[in-house]
Amino acid sequence: MNGARRELNARYPAGMLNDAADAVFPMTKVSTARRQDTKEMRRMKISITTAYLAIVVALVSVPVHAADDRGELPVDFAHEILPILSDKCFVCHGPAGEAKDVLRLDSFAAATVEIDGHRAIDPKNPEKSEFLKRLNSSDEPMPPADAEKQLTARERDLLRRWILQGGKYTTHWAFVAPQKMPPAGSSNATKNEMIDAFVGARLQGQKLAFAPAADRETLARRASLVLTGLPPEPKLLSAFLADNRDGAYERFVDVLLDSPRFGEHQARYWLDAVRYGDTHGLHLDNRRGIFPYRDWVVQALNKNLPLDDFIIWQLAGDLLPNPTLAQRVATGFVRMNPTTAEGGAIPAEFQAKNNFDRVETLGTVFLGMSMTCARCHSHKYDPISQTEYYRLMAFFNSTAEHSMDGNKYEYGPVLKAPANIAAWKQWSELELSRDKLLAAARPHLKKLDDVELPEEKKWDAANAKDRLAMVADPKGQFITLELHKQAIELTGRIEMAEKGFTTTLVAEDLAKPRTTRFLTRGEYNQPTGDPLEPGILTAMGAFPKDSPRNRLGLANWLTGREHPLVARVLINRIWQRTFGNALVRTPEDFGLQGQQPTHPALLDWLAVELHDSNWDLKHMLRLMVTSRTFRQSSAWRKDVADPENQLLARGPSHRLDAEVIRDIALWASGSLDPQMGGEGVKPYQPGGLWSALMHPASNTKNYVQDKGTKLYRRSLYVYWKRTSPHPMMTLFDAPSRESSCVRRSRTNTSLQSLGLLNEVQRVELSRMLAERLLREADNETKRLDLLFKLLASRKPTARERAVCTKLLQSLKERYATAENDALALLSTGDAPRDEKLNPGELAAWSQLAITVLASDVALLLY
Amino acid sequence: MNESNPLREYELNLTRRQLFGRTALGLGTAAMANLFGSDLLAADGNDGAVKAGLHHAAKAKRVIYLFMSGGPSHHDLWDYKPKMQAMFGKELPEHIRDGQRITGMTAGQKTLPVCPSKYKFTKQENNDKGVWVSELLPHTATVAKDLCVVHSTYTEAINHDPAVTYIQTGSQIPGRPSLGSWLSYGLGSMNENLPSYVVMHAKSRHAEQSLFSRLWGTGFLPSDHQGVLLRSQGDPVLYLSNPAGVTRKDRRTQLDALAALNQEQHKRFADPEVLARIKQHELAYRMQASVPELMDLSQENDETFKLYGEEARKPGTFAACCLNARRLAERGVRNIQIFHRGWDAHGGLPREHESQCKDVDQGCAALIKDLKRHGMLDETLVIWGGEFGRTAYCQGSLTKENYGRDHHPRCFTTWMAGGGIKPGITYGQSDDYGYNIADADGNPMRPKPSRESWTPGTMHIHDLNATILHLLGIDHKRLTHRYQGRDFRLTDVNGHVIDDLIA
Repeated sequence: MNGARRELNARYPAGMLNDAADAVFPMTKVSTARRQDTKEMRRMKISITTAYLAIVVALVSVPVHAADDRGELPVDFAHEILPILSDKCFVCHGPAGEAKDVLRLDSFAAATVEIDGHRAIDPKNPEKSEFLKRLNSSDEPMPPADAEKQLTARERDLLRRWILQGGKYTTHWAFVAPQKMPPAGSSNATKNEMIDAFVGARLQGQKLAFAPAADRETLARRASLVLTGLPPEPKLLSAFLADNRDGAYERFVDVLLDSPRFGEHQARYWLDAVRYGDTHGLHLDNRRGIFPYRDWVVQALNKNLPLDDFIIWQLAGDLLPNPTLAQRVATGFVRMNPTTAEGGAIPAEFQAKNNFDRVETLGTVFLGMSMTCARCHSHKYDPISQTEYYRLMAFFNSTAEHSMDGNKYEYGPVLKAPANIAAWKQWSELELSRDKLLAAARPHLKKLDDVELPEEKKWDAANAKDRLAMVADPKGQFITLELHKQAIELTGRIEMAEKGFTTTLVAEDLAKPRTTRFLTRGEYNQPTGDPLEPGILTAMGAFPKDSPRNRLGLANWLTGREHPLVARVLINRIWQRTFGNALVRTPEDFGLQGQQPTHPALLDWLAVELHDSNWDLKHMLRLMVTSRTFRQSSAWRKDVADPENQLLARGPSHRLDAEVIRDIALWASGSLDPQMGGEGVKPYQPGGLWSALMHPASNTKNYVQDKGTKLYRRSLYVYWKRTSPHPMMTLFDAPSRESSCVRRSRTNTSLQSLGLLNEVQRVELSRMLAERLLREADNETKRLDLLFKLLASRKPTARERAVCTKLLQSLKERYATAENDALALLSTGDAPRDEKLNPGELAAWSQLAITVLASDVALLLY
Repeated sequence: MNESNPLREYELNLTRRQLFGRTALGLGTAAMANLFGSDLLAADGNDGAVKAGLHHAAKAKRVIYLFMSGGPSHHDLWDYKPKMQAMFGKELPEHIRDGQRITGMTAGQKTLPVCPSKYKFTKQENNDKGVWVSELLPHTATVAKDLCVVHSTYTEAINHDPAVTYIQTGSQIPGRPSLGSWLSYGLGSMNENLPSYVVMHAKSRHAEQSLFSRLWGTGFLPSDHQGVLLRSQGDPVLYLSNPAGVTRKDRRTQLDALAALNQEQHKRFADPEVLARIKQHELAYRMQASVPELMDLSQENDETFKLYGEEARKPGTFAACCLNARRLAERGVRNIQIFHRGWDAHGGLPREHESQCKDVDQGCAALIKDLKRHGMLDETLVIWGGEFGRTAYCQGSLTKENYGRDHHPRCFTTWMAGGGIKPGITYGQSDDYGYNIADADGNPMRPKPSRESWTPGTMHIHDLNATILHLLGIDHKRLTHRYQGRDFRLTDVNGHVIDDLIA
């Protein structure tokens, strides 16, 4: 047995090797190249049949630092070579190799095997490597002349250098647990300086410096939008601008992190990822009870629940010992997949489809990786075998809900939970009082030191609710105590609170698990082989010892220190929402086909820091937004040709998201209703959008617009019908929430212009904003100052002031002589206009307001 | 306006590129350049790009897809099966069903009685051996010489949501881009004053299906490729009209101020995206003129309404949608889709299908004739069909006059006409029960979608989509978009262009 083989067997349990070898199914992609290739390989009589070669990426973790006696730069296998192999070679020579006689290039062991006197890679005589020969061959080139993907000249050169430098393999970077590797010269840097140390090092490498800092007004707006999704409150802004002491900005940031608006804004990204919707999503697309889950997410983020608990509760809150209500509500995550009850649908088919959806969403959300390929055949690029896919699926296959939703709002298992965030707060207080009371009551049970009484046994086995009942029992042994009276009173309050509870879908496991089998080609009606135990992806560590083989164990695996991906994937998305672009620009793909991080060591440092900080989201965000990197001016630099800002040589700038665009108008107009949580609200929407699509039996076929304050709630709370979300959301790139989205597109279309200037709510809010300006400031200069303070956190420039004044003048003249037009404009929306104000003047100001709201001053982060 | 310096030049070039990447005009070439190398950009201007196609010469400039949601009964419209009459009420032979899975709606039914169509069929002359058309489609029968009627369409999905998602996005599970958005991504628009991809929902008296915005959505493609609804209620395009009390002149003044504010923003930050947005505001302003012009039917003469019927004057009818489709096509919109619901006739099929056919029959025929008289049929691909067909056996109680049919994926009829399609032919056939696709001798076949092989005479929905793309100058295997490390395409891993259908 050679060394590579030994190492292989040591690292991969036999089962896995066999799985990989067994899982040889037709590949995803049609490639005439592959067939061609197979034939050619046969001609070369390269015959590799040993099962152990059917193995994941790479085995020899030797970093490539070999000196190159040709004076050429050493290549970095993980970052430079593996992406090429994956994209251009693995279709035929990769982990899902179809035919057994095809050369595999996904491991050193396989690539160096001698066949008929040839080695694809000959580490002792690199010049003699068959790889090199074929790379340069004109009559038998690789990739073949008709392959869909050809190598570029740069790629050929990299491959050539790699082979000549010994053709060593290392593991794909994302499958190796991250470590903190501070850049040279940063040994004295504090944690707060580390981001800048990494970014500065790369800039220095390009002989560049950081951009100058953004002015304080711009920075305040930027930080506030990034953290809370709204501009800074005028008072807070003024206080910050007036604060000349050290640490003013840091204090400003802390206020933002403590704002209840923080959790509402941050929750949005999570809800996109987990595909949160208020409807089932398929066929009738009926209502479902799930918004307590959304409210839980908002609160968890506001309370800064450590992100590992955030994950564990969602995947397995029900499996924790004596789970709290919140922990069980969090398992709504498991129930988020779209479901159907279409007449005639086959339950077994949807049992499989629902599970596919869960496994694949888990892949995108936590592993930053597509699992979809492995549903039908072993993954072509990444080390995920088809069997592993179904082992992972086994964690979800035994949840208790029926595979058909019955078109029901209460699609069980369900719980009753607080119906909005105020009710949640009340509930937490009640739970706290109850826990205190019970703690005080327990010692009274104990009469003798070493004998356990039946009451004690009963108490210890009971849940909190039953214990409280014991204390409140008029026949119980607490009746003489003050605690007894308190318990009766508390029981009453709890019952009152519970009356206001509402339905929410949760996860529970069946007492007797369903059997999970490998599904041939992903067909629900083709289960094969023995029942599969739930299991994890072996390329990403081992299943945690002492963990149960259920969703809780799965969650423990994901949040374990050794997991190479989860912290990286999460921190990458946190970076993305802070800086506008992620460090790995394909946040949905950290696999071999994904993009390389722009700052690999920074990503790793942040991932480890996330662990070190006990998964403290607010700490991580504080590090980011207080960094010099974040504080840079976002003006494009004349000395840097980097349109995508890969170097981070300027501050973030991009169009804001749909929800933020709407929320800014609500907030600036002073009409934002601060109520948090509760059932999704239905603001203005053009008539007939739902009825044009929906089945007559659907209970979401008619859009019934809300009245009063519900029109003015934050966009997070807008009702999310998955087959037809609100058009002002989708117009600005919000996803449908039918499938996971971890990166929204940012488009720029003419239809958006129409929405910005004509939509009822925007017209109404502009008028309300105009009313505010007219009421709160007494001349034009001050009014323009206020408008810009609200939308830009600064005074208008001279040019902006001139443009606004001119527009205002022309509008005033226009509406002064056309009162009917003014009144018509001011009647848009449900809220009555302020009749104390002159209609002509108000109309002019409202059209000015909508113009500035639609301008890039308000529409962009910068 | 702009001082001349190299950075400005760089920025402006970048801006142009971003515009090309993000707006309707020339988007196709942008997608192409990204995907296939810049040599494709050499295509000279828009029209050049159209003729050249994305990967090969296009046979059609545009597509009008008439989608019959719910699954029209091929038995009662297109697939004439006289031998079934003698089998009325008898059990469907086991060898015909051959283990086919059936939906939960008829799985519990004790018998599967053969249900012949009650409708008369007439053989219409075409350019081959003729085509049988049901009396329910008298108007469509008159354009038989233009139609290529495919009797052998098939799918795997047996329920609406998965089936309609499958035929429109290539996957039964939501999340993939729709056919229309792929076309928009690949080809862009020929008229930047109108959306490049327009979707209409025609009225139906039996609208008993759901549609989903995913059917014209973009999945993981940039969301500006989503279909734009052209509506019959309220604004034809969402938010098209100015608010009450705001005139077009007011809007002009407002947009000038908006542009000046954005210029100021650009001066401060030099972000080319800002300039791109100025252009979009201007396009919106032009669209506010071009859409009402499009919707203004007063320019249409009596002959038009004779062709489409008086129904076409009522906004939202199928006929009106068809007329809109022709007007959109004239104005350079490349990608038009009309959804008509209500074909899901589980019971009371005669009553429902008679009404459904009345909705669509004249409009379909009129569209073909109208495109022809405007000289546009040979460059416009027209497609008619649903997500699956209906069963040969009856669902519920069977009488000579009334019956119902369940969903049937294994064999159904679709027709195509116009741009690049062989006119006046039929393609493929079913067995004597209209149950299985059959070979030339009438023996049932069991084709399966496969990436390597294709069974002549059959058209899987991936084959249909591959053929549609092909006619528009796109190689379905090469129009891809990388998401999560995989280069996705409309036809997933299958799809074969059916050359037999191509003129």
